[in-house]
Amino acid sequence: MTAARAIPALLAALALPSCDWMPGKPTLADKWQAPSEITSFTELYNSNCLGCHADGRSIAGSNTLKDPLYLSLLAPEKLREIIAAGINGHSMPAFAKENGGQLTDQQIDILVAGIMEWRDPSKLPAAPIPPYSAPLGDVAAGNAAFAQYCASCHGADGNGGEKAGSVVNPYYLDLVSDQYLRTIAIAGRPELGCPDFAHRVPGRPMSPQEVSDVTAWLVSRRVNEFGQPPQTIPNQP
Amino acid sequence: MKPAAQKIADLGLSVFNWVDDRLHVRKVWESTAGHHVPQSAGSWFYVFGSATLLCLMMQLVTGTLLALVYVPSADEAYATLEYLTYQQQLGWFLRALHYWGSDFMVGIMCLHMTQVFLWGAYKYPREITWISGLVLLVLTLGLAFTGQVMRFDEDAYWGLGIGAAIVGRVPFVGQQLVDFMLGGQIIGSETLSRFFALHVFVLPGSILAVVALHLRMVLTKGINEYPVPGMVVRRETYDKEYAAILKKEGVPFFPKAIDKDIIAAAFVIGGIVACACIFGPKGPSGPADPLHIDSSPRPDFWFLWIFAVAALMPEEIETFALLVGPVIIGIILVALPFVNGTGEKSWRRRPMAVIVVILVWVSLGMLTYLGATSPWSPVMDGWSSLPVGKEQIAGRSPLELQGAVTLQFKQCRNCHMVDGLGGERGPDLTDVGMRLTAPQLARQVVQGGGNMPAYGQNLSPAEVEALVAYMTTLVPEGVPPAQDFTLTKAAKQ
Repeated sequence: MTAARAIPALLAALALPSCDWMPGKPTLADKWQAPSEITSFTELYNSNCLGCHADGRSIAGSNTLKDPLYLSLLAPEKLREIIAAGINGHSMPAFAKENGGQLTDQQIDILVAGIMEWRDPSKLPAAPIPPYSAPLGDVAAGNAAFAQYCASCHGADGNGGEKAGSVVNPYYLDLVSDQYLRTIAIAGRPELGCPDFAHRVPGRPMSPQEVSDVTAWLVSRRVNEFGQPPQTIPNQP
Repeated sequence: MKPAAQKIADLGLSVFNWVDDRLHVRKVWESTAGHHVPQSAGSWFYVFGSATLLCLMMQLVTGTLLALVYVPSADEAYATLEYLTYQQQLGWFLRALHYWGSDFMVGIMCLHMTQVFLWGAYKYPREITWISGLVLLVLTLGLAFTGQVMRFDEDAYWGLGIGAAIVGRVPFVGQQLVDFMLGGQIIGSETLSRFFALHVFVLPGSILAVVALHLRMVLTKGINEYPVPGMVVRRETYDKEYAAILKKEGVPFFPKAIDKDIIAAAFVIGGIVACACIFGPKGPSGPADPLHIDSSPRPDFWFLWIFAVAALMPEEIETFALLVGPVIIGIILVALPFVNGTGEKSWRRRPMAVIVVILVWVSLGMLTYLGATSPWSPVMDGWSSLPVGKEQIAGRSPLELQGAVTLQFKQCRNCHMVDGLGGERGPDLTDVGMRLTAPQLARQVVQGGGNMPAYGQNLSPAEVEALVAYMTTLVPEGVPPAQDFTLTKAAKQ
């Protein structure tokens, strides 16, 4: 009788470790995954993008991607191109394997799709949004537009004011691309308090032409002589 | 007419007598399990030896079961590990038992050795017991290392690579020894085959043979009596004194002195099973592939201190420390019972022994901690994955923000922490503006120095300017930024 009781007890004891609730039992989620096999957007974003672009909860040196206005400017194909090939000469590296990065085409597609999920048409300004890219405008008109829309924070000559620092610092201008200046002129840096094109002067959004002109003026301030530290041209309106 | 039960008992006894008459079972039992030990040896401090032996037995059983599935070939080893871990019923549990059994075995063996050292059990006449124990120490560590190779994952691969690099430092025959160890020029199937042969045949066989010698010495020279301060060991009188102790208070090991060993055994088995259930098996980590550049291999727990020593020691002493160091330690340990074979046994009268034990355990503990955290390793994806705190970004000028981008893009954070996140190889930069002025920062970035490479070739003037401008803003609130005292003094004059 005792043996008859002992056998099921022994079997139960042996079967115990196979129960799924054992905390030590490895699941397939614990299985090692090659970096190229990762397909979770969050995991990919957090390991490749978070450091420079933050995720909306934190802020970073480079512009946030969780900005509906910025994302409305950018076609998914363009975003894909930027991630895959980087921006030559600037602080955005190429992530595609064929360009020396670590991400597969599929992973870049996942990143593009995930980032584009943050688009939100309901949060866009009512004013007509200037296009992502356009030729540079008129420098003199840009100077005037800067005085009107930007000088209150960045100072009359762009050298910095009470609320924000210089945007004509030669080292700054050397580090950023023309497109970056245009993108900030349109989308601002909402996470840092820099308003977008529609909200710089209440009730007076910047026109697409004014955006191109301001960009042209900022670009005109940049002098880059090979081998020399960058310089600023004195402003001659 | 006898009852049936009585008949069966009689038959059993006569069969036993027939066997005993030929194999001397009774006599062997009486002289082993029944041998007399000092009653004082039935102490909780004396259970570690039998507990280590118990671990060995468990390892033999679980290891044999693992060998039923494991295929020792470079192509299949990893796949069979995955099969065991994720598919085979209870396979993960078997792996976990073997893994934790190994950890427990090494750990308990170290406790046993510490106890033997502190209780003076290595002294006359137990020199061979001590030396055979040292051989068992080496064999057990060998089993633990070769067992790690059996996983044949990236930890195993790089562990072998480091082992080969150490062996390769041997003068004159280094390359030949490496070829012999790896079974060729590279880590491949031949390597795995020979480590498999070591792990399942050579080392366990040797360990059983030396355990036999070790136990034989325990029987012939007796278990160390519990040391009493003032009872001094003298070569001339000790044997008589020990015989007197046995005569006065000797008890048969079985059944009088074995009770604590049995209870300890229950704790050891329970501990291994509990760890296996709660923490599970280790790995396998990524496959053994040198093309995986983002692997971060670590040795198993009991070798972490060696990992730390190898990483931290100055380059000039590496070869000497790696090749001569173990020999010196070995000579000291072997010589111990001959140099220090008599005198006091009790640790209460041997302060140096206590200090040595504390020093060794504290050093090993600290090195193990360092090995587990490895602050010297850069965080390879730190640049792209670690965010910055709001305080480190808000209120910065456009140039300073570009500096924050450069700090990420040029991978400074792989070695430097900002706001609690980042590598620990270089100094924490969270408050760097408080310590260094802009020219000092620029000099450090461009020329390097200390442990840091020079980045002048890899940064444009604008990048340096932005980086420095950003770092000078990294100052805690209410604290003035660093100032060049010579400049402020000159300005005043």
